Amino acid sequence: MANHRVGETGLTDSGPSSNHHHHHNIPYAVLHGMNVPPSFMHQEGSAFDFGELEEAIVLQGVKIRNDEAKPPLFTAGRPAATLEMFPSWPMRFQQTPRGSSKSGEESTDSGSGVNTISSKTENQVEPESPISKKTSSLDQQQQVEMASDISRTGTSQNQSAAAKTPQEKRRGSTSEKQLDAKTLRRLAQNREAARKSRLRKKAYVQQLESSRIKLTQLEQDLQRARSQGFFLGGCAGTVGNISSGAAIFDMEYSRWLEDDQRHMSELRTGLNAHLSDSDLRIIVDSYISHYDEIFRLKVAAAKADVFHLITGMWTTPAERCFLWMGGFRPSDLIKMLISQLDPLTEQQVMGIYSLQHSSQQAEEALTQGLEQLQQSLTDTIAGGPVIDGMQQMAVALGKLANLEGFVRQADNLRQQTLHQLSRILTVRQAARCFLMIGEYYGRLRALSSLWASRPRESMMSEDHSCQTTTELQMVQPSQNHFSNF
Amino acid sequence: MHYQGDYSWGYYMSTRSIGSDPMERVVKLASEKAVVIFSLSSCCMCHAMKRLFCGMGVNPTVYELDQDPRGKDLETALMRLLGNSQPVPVVFIGGKLIGAMDRVMASHINGTLVPLLKEAGALWL
Repeated sequence: MANHRVGETGLTDSGPSSNHHHHHNIPYAVLHGMNVPPSFMHQEGSAFDFGELEEAIVLQGVKIRNDEAKPPLFTAGRPAATLEMFPSWPMRFQQTPRGSSKSGEESTDSGSGVNTISSKTENQVEPESPISKKTSSLDQQQQVEMASDISRTGTSQNQSAAAKTPQEKRRGSTSEKQLDAKTLRRLAQNREAARKSRLRKKAYVQQLESSRIKLTQLEQDLQRARSQGFFLGGCAGTVGNISSGAAIFDMEYSRWLEDDQRHMSELRTGLNAHLSDSDLRIIVDSYISHYDEIFRLKVAAAKADVFHLITGMWTTPAERCFLWMGGFRPSDLIKMLISQLDPLTEQQVMGIYSLQHSSQQAEEALTQGLEQLQQSLTDTIAGGPVIDGMQQMAVALGKLANLEGFVRQADNLRQQTLHQLSRILTVRQAARCFLMIGEYYGRLRALSSLWASRPRESMMSEDHSCQTTTELQMVQPSQNHFSNF
Repeated sequence: MHYQGDYSWGYYMSTRSIGSDPMERVVKLASEKAVVIFSLSSCCMCHAMKRLFCGMGVNPTVYELDQDPRGKDLETALMRLLGNSQPVPVVFIGGKLIGAMDRVMASHINGTLVPLLKEAGALWL
């Protein structure tokens, strides 16, 4: 957990342990302005011992309060360099005159040792940002307290310096330059906090970006899979439970949709370019053939898996709302077109209305036929003592087979309607009409995908976005972290 | 709107035993009324066909082949006539073969069905 957190600050790709030198891997606590024995800074191991850290902080507090000359417990074998965490400080500290030669020596040592660290960290400076400013001010608050504590105890000590440093020495050396040291220390801490905040912010933004990309990719995959008819968790069918006939048709249909786009752009450019009627006729005829193709494909699909067509699983949800017998309702289409096809001659108007009327009659006839099929099926399988269950099922199966015929007739009706439209209208009108049809269904499909991807709270609980949100939580400003200590 | 050219009519018209031959019976029955539908009472598509004509205000003559003692023969004949495995529903208007449901639909959509019906006297404006 700790390791994960440290890694999340974005300084390393792989957590606390890395190929980088230790000074690139400034431990967590150091960045948060806590007293940390220098050993932590130079840890190459993967485990970041928070136990030791906590101990160090607690003992540091004890040390500060007691003002005793007791050597800290945790410094056994390790020098207690309380101010190692402020890499920039020794540099400044070095510049100020020191009282004793010993402290000067120490500071020199510490300066030389830690300067390298600070210079390295300087390289990681990022431009200021609101977030880092906010967090740095928070850090500053904490660090100011620490700084005041630390300044009371003593100067920093390098790990290369003597193992044990008397408390008196530290106290003695700082007393004269306490004010300067305090201010300088504070400034250094502020700088450090700001730097750390900038780094954190960069990491956070990087995380956001990668999560966003991942989300859009997932959405795209989802859409692609849906258009191919594969059911993912949450949809009606179970994963993998799609017949081969249906899967084949879904692939053919998605290819047909791509072709549709191409034809539509041809129609659009043809209309805008004011092509001659004969040229436009070629484009219109090719669009009609394009529709003939899907009806041909649907014949095979109805034979392979009629339920796939009749339940509309091959279309998008919004289209499914308007589904009639495995496809669009011809009279609805004409209704949609009627107002947009102006101007029409009187003969054309009569033709369109007659087409709408006859398609309505045909639709009604097929619907009633289907209703009778449903009634007959219900009669076959419903209640009563089952004398011969298998016979009953066999009869029912035979009746179900009639569904294919109805879907085929419905598709036939749709095809005939489109052909008749092209006969009634002029070439230019037909081009506009087919463009309208293509755009209408395109928008309906777009509506479906917009609906599917609309923001909802429930999205957070889904598996593929769960990871994203928890990752984001990891890199949030570190108020949480401070509260632990 | 002949479905299968003139071959079938010419051959069957010339034979002597008109009544016993199923195809001849089909032809005979088809020409007796303005609109004739051959159907099976259990067939849902036949129901759709009937509803289509009734919806247009036409009063078709319906022969339920499952209720005819020689219905099976008629079915076979119709299958040969249409060239597929579905003998019913099939419609004759004014004695002329129109076809199965898909043909009737196409004819209705392209506007040729109503004139045919009027011509046969099955529809009055």
